[in-house]
Amino acid sequence: MLRKISITLSLSVLAAALALAQGKVVIQYDCIPNYANWGGVTALYKKVSGVTVPPDSKGSSVAMAALEKERNDPQADTVYYSGAIGFQAAAQGLHEPYKPKGWEKIPAGLKDPNGLWWTVHTSAIAFIVNTRALDGAPVPRSWQDLLKPVYKGKIAYDDPTWGGTSYTLVYGLNTLLGGNEKNFKPGLDYLKKLDANVSSYPRESIYNAVLRGEVPIWINADGNGYKMKHVDGGPVEVVIPAEGTFTMPLVMALVKGAPHGEEAKKYLDWLLTSPAQAEFARSYFRPVLPGALPPDIARHFLPEKDYRRARSLDLARMAAAADALKKAWTEQIRGSGR
Amino acid sequence: MTRDRDTASAWTGALLALPFLLFLCGVVAWPLAHLAGRAVTQGEALREVLAAGRYRTALVNSLALSSAAAAASVLLSVGPAWILARERFRGRDLLRTAISLPLTFSGVLVGFLMVVLLGRIGAIPKVIGALTGREMFSGAAYTVGGLFLAYLYFEVPRAVMTLEAAFRRFPRELDSAARTLGAGALQRLVRIGLPIAAPALRSTLAVTFSASMGSFGVALILSRRFTVAPLEIYTEMTGFLNDDVAGALCLALALITLAVDRLLSLGSRR
Repeated sequence: MLRKISITLSLSVLAAALALAQGKVVIQYDCIPNYANWGGVTALYKKVSGVTVPPDSKGSSVAMAALEKERNDPQADTVYYSGAIGFQAAAQGLHEPYKPKGWEKIPAGLKDPNGLWWTVHTSAIAFIVNTRALDGAPVPRSWQDLLKPVYKGKIAYDDPTWGGTSYTLVYGLNTLLGGNEKNFKPGLDYLKKLDANVSSYPRESIYNAVLRGEVPIWINADGNGYKMKHVDGGPVEVVIPAEGTFTMPLVMALVKGAPHGEEAKKYLDWLLTSPAQAEFARSYFRPVLPGALPPDIARHFLPEKDYRRARSLDLARMAAAADALKKAWTEQIRGSGR
Repeated sequence: MTRDRDTASAWTGALLALPFLLFLCGVVAWPLAHLAGRAVTQGEALREVLAAGRYRTALVNSLALSSAAAAASVLLSVGPAWILARERFRGRDLLRTAISLPLTFSGVLVGFLMVVLLGRIGAIPKVIGALTGREMFSGAAYTVGGLFLAYLYFEVPRAVMTLEAAFRRFPRELDSAARTLGAGALQRLVRIGLPIAAPALRSTLAVTFSASMGSFGVALILSRRFTVAPLEIYTEMTGFLNDDVAGALCLALALITLAVDRLLSLGSRR
């Protein structure tokens, strides 16, 4: 573990040092190049402003943990999370209030009234299916379908202690099946049955493994599946399950005590401009600003009637349940560790 | 006069060792003392780690997996190390370079390699499927066996390199004498080589064992349910912000590793 941390640390220090050598820099935690097209977005920002935003491979939970550790000596300027984790981090006092330009255009409910966090784009949990890797099994259409023995060893979803997307999945599924922030049983019972078909609970991005067919079914953000299909040309189908699914706001925040605070604010303003929002949309995450979804991207999404089955989740309740639900998941689903 | 020189050289030695001593204090003594201090003041976490449950399972798994990997890699390495050290043949340097190559890969890379070889659509199941009509070992990468193989992948080269160095210091005249008296290569290895090499074998065991105990990347990629201590430390720190348990696990891991290494070196002094 120390090795991993020191490698990550030295890589980020190296990246930051390189960036510094070349000029201005904004450090963002959770800036995974092939997630939500951060690679494209930061490259575009470099082009328009000359400012470098180096890549960073932390998932939401890890990003929050890092900010907590560095509370007295902040290293990051901005941070990106799935909604509930951002909400939780804001509640822990890790963010500086800031209302970027374009703030008023973000729908209420997708931002903190005080500017502690705000949504940049949204996504929905979906099945991302590599149809060529199913070995003849039909494309699953519902959460019930996933339990069928024909999908044994073919399903993966990220460890919810690693990433916010998967925490959204676990929390959402529990509410969908009748549980709430106090009662996790319905969701965990389902996931225990699903476990028979799950090949792994990854703690790193398996985007490429899905594209290659190593993992035929990935329960993850819909945008990742559309991107596999339309950008990488993979034999991929995105399925919104019949019983319903959940939307996930993905949020930004300004880190409290950000070392490059002024540069960071300019960058956060820019993320809400049309060019930046359209660049996010190229990875099929829905821009938060109304009308920012380019038509040639919009036509690749599943029809609106499918998305009517996607419900939004209450971030406050979701954040309150986070630690207990992640612990319960680790104990009951990942199991005894033997 | 001589005495002056001795004092002077002792001072020079101390001065030369100073950077290393500072380094040891900074990255070994200080963090370990910090962890130990925490464990004393907040004994709750250490008790939680040592009580039956997920954390203790992780420590036991680490101990078992690392012991098995160390023993197997030493067993597998004795022959190749002996040949590399004692025999002259074409391509020896090339072979040595090839053997040392896996040491340059990080654990995460080795994990990916196992997935490519023994994953659900891994190369080995595909080849077996093409030959026999039945795909075998598909998804084996994600089992304990897969994890063990991945550990061997970087422990065998480590063991070969360490043992070869020891075998090369082996007194040539004993070997020649045995050869003159008509002993074959195997007999020379078992009757002369191994007894002399025992300390080297033990230290190789210690090196491979310690490296396995600390290995993280391989298990991060491959482990589905089976867990090891470094993985639990990572989860506690990043997933739950639980510094106390992570620290107690670190301490327990360090102490177990030190204790085993100590046992092995005690054996070599006897």
